[in-house]
Amino acid sequence: MTTKTNSHTSIRILFVVGLVWVGLLGCKTEQQIADRQPDPVAMTQIGDEASLAITGGAKLWAQNCIRCHNIRNPASLSDRQWEIVLHHMRVRANLTAQEHELILEFLKAAN
Amino acid sequence: MNTPLTCIALVGLALCSGAALGQGQPQDEGSVSRAEHEALRNDLETLRAEMAAMRKARQANERAAHQDATQAPTWIELERMRLRQDMIEQTLLEAKYGESNFHFTGFAFTRFTNVEGADSSFTAVVAPIILWELSDRLLFETELEFGLETEDGEGKTEVELEYAHASYILNDYVTLGAGKFLTPFGIFGERLHPAWINKLPDAPLPFGHHGGLVPMSSLGAYVRGGFPLGDAKGNYSFYVSNGPSLNVEGHGVGTLDFENFGDINNNKAFGGRVGFLPWPEIEVGYSFQFADVTPSGFDQQADALLQSIDVSYVTESDLLGGLIDLRFEWVFSDVDDVAFAAEVEGHAEEGGHAEEEEEGNEAFITFNNERSGGYLQLAFRPTKSDMEFLRNLEFVGRYGWLDLPSGAPDAFDQERWTIGVNYWLNPSTVLKIAYEHTEIDGGDDFDAIKAMFAIGF
Repeated sequence: MTTKTNSHTSIRILFVVGLVWVGLLGCKTEQQIADRQPDPVAMTQIGDEASLAITGGAKLWAQNCIRCHNIRNPASLSDRQWEIVLHHMRVRANLTAQEHELILEFLKAAN
Repeated sequence: MNTPLTCIALVGLALCSGAALGQGQPQDEGSVSRAEHEALRNDLETLRAEMAAMRKARQANERAAHQDATQAPTWIELERMRLRQDMIEQTLLEAKYGESNFHFTGFAFTRFTNVEGADSSFTAVVAPIILWELSDRLLFETELEFGLETEDGEGKTEVELEYAHASYILNDYVTLGAGKFLTPFGIFGERLHPAWINKLPDAPLPFGHHGGLVPMSSLGAYVRGGFPLGDAKGNYSFYVSNGPSLNVEGHGVGTLDFENFGDINNNKAFGGRVGFLPWPEIEVGYSFQFADVTPSGFDQQADALLQSIDVSYVTESDLLGGLIDLRFEWVFSDVDDVAFAAEVEGHAEEGGHAEEEEEGNEAFITFNNERSGGYLQLAFRPTKSDMEFLRNLEFVGRYGWLDLPSGAPDAFDQERWTIGVNYWLNPSTVLKIAYEHTEIDGGDDFDAIKAMFAIGF
């Protein structure tokens, strides 16, 4: 048990150090978000306000989905299917109402 | 009286005589002959007949015109027809795949397991998920799991209802639901257990359907939601369920049976999880569940308190050139100490804390029924590499542990180290290979090779 206790202590220290380490190294996510922006051509065809909303939706989409799983292509589902899937994910991942709305708006615009 | 009649008769006779005399005189220009009279009469009859035919035809035309006028669609009928057409089009549209209120999704996998000292084996599972959105607020979702149970060497098909529940979005911050649902206790069971999401071919030690420390699914009702906290975010999930049952006999004595979905004592379990995201990349959570776990017919009171903390850190690092996925969960289980019938031989470890008592001819054991377990998992995927092959690779390491009460029958502390490599064929299709080393306190260590091909669809 002494060996195990030491082992657990080491693991806890490793965890804290690891958390700080990846925090220092991985604090930038802008590129990740920029890589997942909707089609620029489509963005020019809508108003500034809607464009801002969709950009916010893209950011939220990247942040929330990747927390559990890889991000799927928006074109992999129809608008109607995304509505149902987002409803499901709002319940499962405790998305806020605003996140739900903006992410869905982005997916429909990017689809 | 006779005189006037006589006079009239005479006058009439005179007139008749005059008319008779006039027959033999040449005709005046203003008179017609009988032949002409007959001809004229025939013409008149012909005209009358033609007029009657024309009138009849005109009346027929008028009736037909009136009938057409009465049968012509009014604007109301036209509107009805348009609406009916719209309904038909909508029905056809909804029936088209991808446009209906149903969405079919899920995952499937096949796994190869080769554990030291046991026969290697394949297994296969498919878990279809049906989402049914009845309205913008109301959703029903269910997951079935069909799998081959090959551990016993027979390969029987097992069917399990993973979850089936309805949820209703009450407002921006509250969603209500009821049914069988994945228990919001920690993060692995509810969010990470699907094969295409889990980074390794198996579940961490404290999780899993059999022998785990936490309930993977529960039967009851819940309230949950998310809310902004300035730039941060919070979320909550609370539930009431039938709750687990304490195993009071057999080899699993002292453990909790989470697969017993029927209520055993009319006392419900209460639990939940509260999560906090100071930044989008980090989430910390605390979970708990309190339940009366006394099984029916057991003469001692036993309550169980489960607690857990979890930390997630997921971000894409420019410096490291890839995606970092860090998970940590620590689970504590504290069940009231009770005396169990000592039916299992060899239950008391040397130097352990088990106590054995004897009352009459029956022997009882008791032990400090506290358990804990957890895991620390780190995955890295070089998503920013120039080589596509490297971008699709993912390297995973996990350390898991399980601390079980000394003196409990067949309860041995475990530590497990796992390293694995994944290759992603697409965002939801992955091939995983992992090597595991498990150390058992007081038992033989063993190694294992596990491989899995998983698809999320």
